[in-house]
Amino acid sequence: MAAYLLRRLLAVIPVMVVVAITVFMLLRLAPGDPAAIIAGDEARPEDIIRIRAMLGLNESIVVQFGLWVGRLLQGDLGTSIFSNLPVTTLIAQRLEPTVMLTITTLTIAVVTAIPLGVLAAWQARTIIDRIVMLIAVLGFALPVFVFGYVLIWIFAIDLQWLPVQGYKPLKDGFWSCLESLVLPSTALGLTYMALIARITRASMLEVLDQDYIRTARAKGLSTRRTLLLHALKNAAVPILTVIGIAIALLISGVVITESVFNIPGLGRLTVDAILKRDYPIIQGLIIVFAGVKVLVNLSIDVSYAAFDPRIRY
Amino acid sequence: MSTALLEVEDLAIRFRAGNGHIHAVDGVSFALGRGETLGIVGESGCGKSVTALSILRLLPKRGADIHRGAIRYDGQDLARLSEREMSRLRGNRLSMIFQEPMTSLNPVLTVGTQIAETVRRHRGASKAQALAHAIDMLTLVRIPDAERRATEYPFQLSGGMRQRVMIALALACQPDILIADEPTTALDVTIQAQILTLIADLQARTGTAVVLITHDLGVVAETCSRVIVMYAGRVVEAAPVSALFANPRHPYTIGLMHALPHLDDAAPDDGTRRRLAEIPGLVPRLVKPIQGCAFAPRCSMATDQCRTETPPLDPVDPVHRVACWQVPR
Repeated sequence: MAAYLLRRLLAVIPVMVVVAITVFMLLRLAPGDPAAIIAGDEARPEDIIRIRAMLGLNESIVVQFGLWVGRLLQGDLGTSIFSNLPVTTLIAQRLEPTVMLTITTLTIAVVTAIPLGVLAAWQARTIIDRIVMLIAVLGFALPVFVFGYVLIWIFAIDLQWLPVQGYKPLKDGFWSCLESLVLPSTALGLTYMALIARITRASMLEVLDQDYIRTARAKGLSTRRTLLLHALKNAAVPILTVIGIAIALLISGVVITESVFNIPGLGRLTVDAILKRDYPIIQGLIIVFAGVKVLVNLSIDVSYAAFDPRIRY
Repeated sequence: MSTALLEVEDLAIRFRAGNGHIHAVDGVSFALGRGETLGIVGESGCGKSVTALSILRLLPKRGADIHRGAIRYDGQDLARLSEREMSRLRGNRLSMIFQEPMTSLNPVLTVGTQIAETVRRHRGASKAQALAHAIDMLTLVRIPDAERRATEYPFQLSGGMRQRVMIALALACQPDILIADEPTTALDVTIQAQILTLIADLQARTGTAVVLITHDLGVVAETCSRVIVMYAGRVVEAAPVSALFANPRHPYTIGLMHALPHLDDAAPDDGTRRRLAEIPGLVPRLVKPIQGCAFAPRCSMATDQCRTETPPLDPVDPVHRVACWQVPR
């Protein structure tokens, strides 16, 4: 197990190297002078020269890359062109809302999707199954911004139960923070709920046909124990895989949700940086997102072993 | 037989298929005495496994139904119990072991857990007591180093071991009836003998009655006291094992006996071998109830009466019953 973990962690290095090269080349592959791109349409020549010096563009490309990676390894993601603040500081400031939104969204999605999927599989080809799958298809088809505005209209404007927009940080109280996240994470969670519920149903259906489920019934076990222990534990691996994919998608999925609900998270930071062509921030975000995805994949792979003893590393 | 532990009477089971039904079991009756071993033999598709599954009501909920008859056990008709009442009997008073030991155990739970949970369910034992009992059961089915084996998963055990685990599981609550559906079919011949001996030993010790479903007449001869022969969803002959082997009466049973290989038939000096006798023709499809004797199309003695009237299972002597118009009674 330890050897496996070490091997997998070492395998992260080439992945991140490729990411770093891509991110570095991003600015250089864009047509024209990066300094001119950053400076914008109305820049004076002095501005361009200043920016070129700031970015170290006068060095050879290999030296530039070496210097950049060197700083990266020290945790220095560069400096924002517009705010002049370190990119790490900007990302750190925006991290909490996004992490909280991801956690609550995932919780809502998993907690609703797995029971629904199990129920649908158990009641396969009945009206209950059809209703659950209809919800799943709708949830998948409905864009986050549509569902988000519908939720805002009903629960925030009409019923006034929850805030319309904005995010209350954790330090101002756990419950008020959670309250500000209910609508965004429900809107965002619906898609993932649909995705996870469908996979749960499919995976459970396959398992419920197995001989050992008949054995469980022949032992007189309750339906609950048969479904939730004997069947679900066997169905876990595909479900975990799709949850892993969901986490990865969520990180990019928060962009729209954060805009709709006006949450100052990484999604908003990304959008703003792209609009302003603040390349250092974009580069920093891509590296952080890539790193998170690699780590999520690794933890999902490791967690398989907890559910299926036949998987050993 | 008024002392019967289990009485199956005129059982008929059909499966929905397309627009119609398949009549998998059509009017099967038999009784099982306390501590007895009853064999049910017949070829694939004759309805023997369906009959066995129906006793524990393990047929697929949708698509299969018991549309006639009764399964009487302990003063109640199992065919009419609710799912909840039925689940209290399963694994407790009535147990079952299956043909495929490789797939019948849950791959992600330890064998100890799988036995212990049955004990906990029916005996309300504590976790530790149930696990101790599970280890005792594994020892009883002669699994060496039971304590360690209990913590292992099915994939760490051989096929023979897994079938022993299934037997331990089925007998953990000392059931009145054990239904064994082809328990040795998937195993090596040497392991088959061990498993059959084990079932017989445990049965002698616990007084559990056994219904042994098999297509193997050799297995029946070794283990059963009484046997019923099924063909196309019906019982065609029922007799004590000795009587059936000494004097088979139904043309189908006679055909089966002739299809058995005999040691003295093997390779004469000239190197040629006698072909095994076979029964000509095919098993009938069961898409509609069969008129007359189901075996008539393959039977050399069939008459017009055989093709139109269903022969009743009548006694030819006090213990031997045959469903055939051509057997004098």
